[in-house]
Amino acid sequence: MSARNGRVQLVAVLVTLVLLHFYIRPRLFDGRLAPDFLLFALVIFAMRSGPGAGAVAGFLVGLATDALSPARFGAATLADTIVGYAAAWGRAVFFADNLLVNAGFVAAGLWVRDLIMLVASGTPQGQLLLELGVYSPLQALTTAAAGAFVLYAFRQWFAVRLDA
Amino acid sequence: MFPASDRGFSRRDTALFAGCMLLAVTALFTPDRITSAIATGLRQTVLAPLVWLQEQAEAGRGSRARLKSLLAERDSAAFAAQFLPSLTAENERLRALLGLSHRLRTPYVAAEVLHQAQVTDARMLLLSVGQADGVASFDPIVAPEGLVGVIWNAGQHTSVAMTWAHPEFRVSAFTANGSAYGIVAASPNATGSDAYLEFRGVPYRDSVVAGTVVLSSGLGGVYPKGIPIGTVMGVIREEAGWARVYRVRPAANPASTGHVLVLIGRRVGSVGEAFSSDTLEPSPRSDSMKVERRPRPAPPRATAPVPAVRPKADSTKAVPESTARPRPDSILRSPRPPRASPDSARPDSTP
Repeated sequence: MSARNGRVQLVAVLVTLVLLHFYIRPRLFDGRLAPDFLLFALVIFAMRSGPGAGAVAGFLVGLATDALSPARFGAATLADTIVGYAAAWGRAVFFADNLLVNAGFVAAGLWVRDLIMLVASGTPQGQLLLELGVYSPLQALTTAAAGAFVLYAFRQWFAVRLDA
Repeated sequence: MFPASDRGFSRRDTALFAGCMLLAVTALFTPDRITSAIATGLRQTVLAPLVWLQEQAEAGRGSRARLKSLLAERDSAAFAAQFLPSLTAENERLRALLGLSHRLRTPYVAAEVLHQAQVTDARMLLLSVGQADGVASFDPIVAPEGLVGVIWNAGQHTSVAMTWAHPEFRVSAFTANGSAYGIVAASPNATGSDAYLEFRGVPYRDSVVAGTVVLSSGLGGVYPKGIPIGTVMGVIREEAGWARVYRVRPAANPASTGHVLVLIGRRVGSVGEAFSSDTLEPSPRSDSMKVERRPRPAPPRATAPVPAVRPKADSTKAVPESTARPRPDSILRSPRPPRASPDSARPDSTP
């Protein structure tokens, strides 16, 4: 299969994830623990593209996030840029074609994203600790689980290994 | 097949990362005036399809529950409508007797909250209404339970709301019994579901008992008078021995609110009547304020006259004439209309 087909498949999955985020997630999930499909899309794109492309993708996703919910404009842009770049960097260190590694990347990316966003938006210490200690890990788990499901469904396209 | 990339790092990657970081940090320190314009522009152009998609999802999610609710309300309304003409007539007669004006009606638009999966979601909300619906900046947002926040930035079809959980949120408030005035703000120490508000600047002499409902005072011109903000839970701390800060349990929860009302147009004097009476104590009457102006015993430690910080008398004057309740003595002075027969006011007496 050519690289062009691979890119088309990646774009198809990314569009599906965007639709999941904006159309399915509000219908199925409620509250703070809903999986973040946008971040999952960012991580898998960054891991399969490169550090520069990952950073640019993170910048664009963060910009969209800031436009939709600007607690502090620029906070999500900064956070997602770092996460996009770090995800691309991480795939060079770990076995990025393993399902669990991918899910772990997503969970870690979400927690780091929340950490940067909370700090950059000037969150009080008490709330910051609660968010990072309780809600962010739980949302990271739901996002990683949803991401693992999507990767499993498209494992042929992403050449994901299921063994440990 | 599109496996994980094996491409290494290059100068181009580093330059792209550095450029994006620079832009992100610049955005972080850019004035709100510029960033809000950028955000609004993005929502109206590139992100418009995504916002529309989420609006459809939110509408679809709530449609089944709303259908059941609407059917129940329709049945109740059909039953109540049988008595409506006679009740309206009775209401008019009684209001004429008491010299009261008509109940205030505040123009509003209903909006859906488009929640984002972000850690800061409860502080800023995206609403599905904008300037095209008559919404403008600084329009108050209420839920059936009480105050949610204020419009921070209004786009053409969407708007961003600042909720009471935002650190910069402030609202002038008073207790439902009129005993204390102050400023309500989000607590900097609140955490997650334990988020609460602080009722600040309450003079030391004005103690507020737990369970007292706190309402917006209408001072400042942003929030109409009478919107429930929350319920006093107790004292948090004292400020320099002249004021107390009270802990207030918020009436409305922005994180779980799906639908809100945006109060638009000209500010009216009071909207207290619009909220359910079981969560709201009677609003202070001018005559009851008069009674409360009795000289109070001075605080034990006070050595100098305490400055009068409570704007009771002024705020009473500031209420528009059409909304102010008549003083009892003015009712007595005015010629009394003939009292209606009790029977004529009963709905079952109409032919």
